[in-house]
Amino acid sequence: MISFIAAAMAMLLMLVPAGVTMIRGTLADAVVGYELVTSVAVMVLALLAEGFKRPSLFELPVLLAVLLYGSGLVFVRALERGL
Amino acid sequence: MTREIITDVLLALAVLTVAGAALGTAVMPDAYARLHFVTPAAVVAPAGVTLAVFVREGLDYSTGATFIALVFMVAASPFLSHATARAIRVRERGDWHQAAERPAETSADRPADKPGARVREPR
Repeated sequence: MISFIAAAMAMLLMLVPAGVTMIRGTLADAVVGYELVTSVAVMVLALLAEGFKRPSLFELPVLLAVLLYGSGLVFVRALERGL
Repeated sequence: MTREIITDVLLALAVLTVAGAALGTAVMPDAYARLHFVTPAAVVAPAGVTLAVFVREGLDYSTGATFIALVFMVAASPFLSHATARAIRVRERGDWHQAAERPAETSADRPADKPGARVREPR
């Protein structure tokens, strides 16, 4: 159980470089960083649900994985049309 | 005991993959190069997490839900990466069809000169 929570914490820590890229980079870099952060967030939610033994919380990563594609395309479209 | 070791190894593999992807995203010089590092974090690491949940829980609701999330991520990630690269190119050049400077072609190489060729009109 503790290994899942530790893995979730480690993955959250790995979001710091992506966050720095989003803040300091260009708009295209920020979109790429956003895609990385969303992918990692899906895993963090799944790891926390497993780590805390709450099967009902597995709805969140599934929902976020579905929304990942649509939300990513929204940002990509905005990037293409010139934010 | 063996099951726990396998779970820990799979989780460590997933964390290392995410670490490599995060560092690669931060270090690479431009957005095209950064984009290559999103795919491992969206495909390889979720597979490791799903396998870890499967090894720990067996065929359970948790494994099924994680597997569904994995399927969506594996399916969406290539399309999203392609769309992002295309959008960056459109933003930089105005049109993603626009070719870079190339040496002059002979008339035999041009698609318009071949019989039955369909020519794309410039926008």
